[in-house]
Amino acid sequence: MTSEYKKPLPRPAMNPEVSKPFWEGTKKHELWMQYCLNHNGHFFYPREVCPICWAPQDRLVWQKVSGKGRVFSYTTVFQPAIPAFAEEAPYIHALIEVDEGARIIGNVIDIPQEDVAANKLEVNQRVEAVFEDVTDEWTLVKWKPIGEG
Amino acid sequence: MSLRGEAAIIGIGELPTQRSTPGRSMLGLLGDAARIAIKDAHIRKEDVDGIVTEGGATYPASVAEYLGIRDVRFGTGSSMMGASGATGIAIASMAVMNGLANNVLVLMGVARNPALGGGGEGFGGPGGEFEMPYGTAAGANTGYAMIYKKHMDQYGTTQEQLAHVASNQRFNALENENSAFKGQAISHQDVLDSRYVNYPLRLLECVMPCGGAAAAIVTTAERAKASLTNPVYVLGVGTALDDFGAYPKPEFTTSPVARSAPVAYAMSGYTPRDIQFAEFYDCYTILEAMCLEDAGIAPKGEIGPFFAATDTTYKGTFPINTDGGQLSSGQPGLAGGFRHVIEGARQIMGKAGVRQVARKDLCLVNG
Repeated sequence: MTSEYKKPLPRPAMNPEVSKPFWEGTKKHELWMQYCLNHNGHFFYPREVCPICWAPQDRLVWQKVSGKGRVFSYTTVFQPAIPAFAEEAPYIHALIEVDEGARIIGNVIDIPQEDVAANKLEVNQRVEAVFEDVTDEWTLVKWKPIGEG
Repeated sequence: MSLRGEAAIIGIGELPTQRSTPGRSMLGLLGDAARIAIKDAHIRKEDVDGIVTEGGATYPASVAEYLGIRDVRFGTGSSMMGASGATGIAIASMAVMNGLANNVLVLMGVARNPALGGGGEGFGGPGGEFEMPYGTAAGANTGYAMIYKKHMDQYGTTQEQLAHVASNQRFNALENENSAFKGQAISHQDVLDSRYVNYPLRLLECVMPCGGAAAAIVTTAERAKASLTNPVYVLGVGTALDDFGAYPKPEFTTSPVARSAPVAYAMSGYTPRDIQFAEFYDCYTILEAMCLEDAGIAPKGEIGPFFAATDTTYKGTFPINTDGGQLSSGQPGLAGGFRHVIEGARQIMGKAGVRQVARKDLCLVNG
């Protein structure tokens, strides 16, 4: 599988040790996010300091979250910056707000291509995480539309 | 006037110096130092409204985003090598004594983490890990398109309305010798017919990267009066900073102008209604539109109808980006944002030639 995947893989540049539980989670097809024991809330992306209350690292734990949320906003990419995405274009690059409150970037998939091209996706569409094992090492989290409730 | 006695350091934070900092990043270490400093100063995180970082490897906006500092009124880099920290204190002093911020956090530091290459210079944002794998569009298109879509959903703004931003500015650029699009007319329909780069952003709603440069000279009012020029006086300034990336910010469709413009207005003694013309940063139609409403040129959420109903060319009732702006002149790096200052000054000096606006004395500029 590894040799076939031409698109960019995650490059953990901030701190690979801090974001590791996130990627270990996706490998198990689970969505994990950091939770701050000081102010009792989730946040994303992974950090060494809580961005809400500056609690230090030892007050931050990882929790499995529901994997459900809504499309906060999105763009349909007709002209990708990275050539490897060209054959898939147009596709949806979205900002998802998970039910636990944090926001995360991902693609919304499982939509008929003609609807993608016609920008039919609605803001606030309910979505659920799905996991794509793109290489032996990496599993990306993507999102598919689901019904309300 | 000097800053003598006008500002003070009220808290300090320092981490133990270590040969290596395994498991830690520069951003994480900066956060730990910041926590110690606010405790020492007896202030809360929410009281921090200014930030000075090194500015090269660490953008103030990236550090503010990582640390979740929400209301940054003043942020800048201090890229002075070993003197960056001391210069940062001088800059912070100037900011607080002039009312641009109350509590400025000056932050410098570096990690030496073997997992990050160990060299110590390592700094990376979240983009390569959490955005790129999902196929971003070129430049800043991805974030601004999502802001555009959210604005449409939230306020009913339409692409037809914002296309006027691009077509009116092209009219302004037609006789601008310095515009990359001089003489190349486009209509409102041309904007709507241009292809999507990434929905809802069409090609003619995005800037074209170019080469170029701009410069300006600032002196004291006293010297200006004695000079052989027609001076352009700075009457009010407000600054504010937002997250580097679009996605963590809670106020998705509100720009930092909502916080900077009131400061500039209050300092100047003028209100939005007094403004005669505007030169506003315009990397994309949506960004310019959103900033204009945040500056009170139209009520929040009503900038779409404003553009549909207002002639914003240099001949119009409220001229905006009278030289074509970046959208119709090109974006020569940071001179692109600087052009709004240059054109505003040019108009006030009365040197804008054929595109000279009728009411030229009070301009609002956003960079």
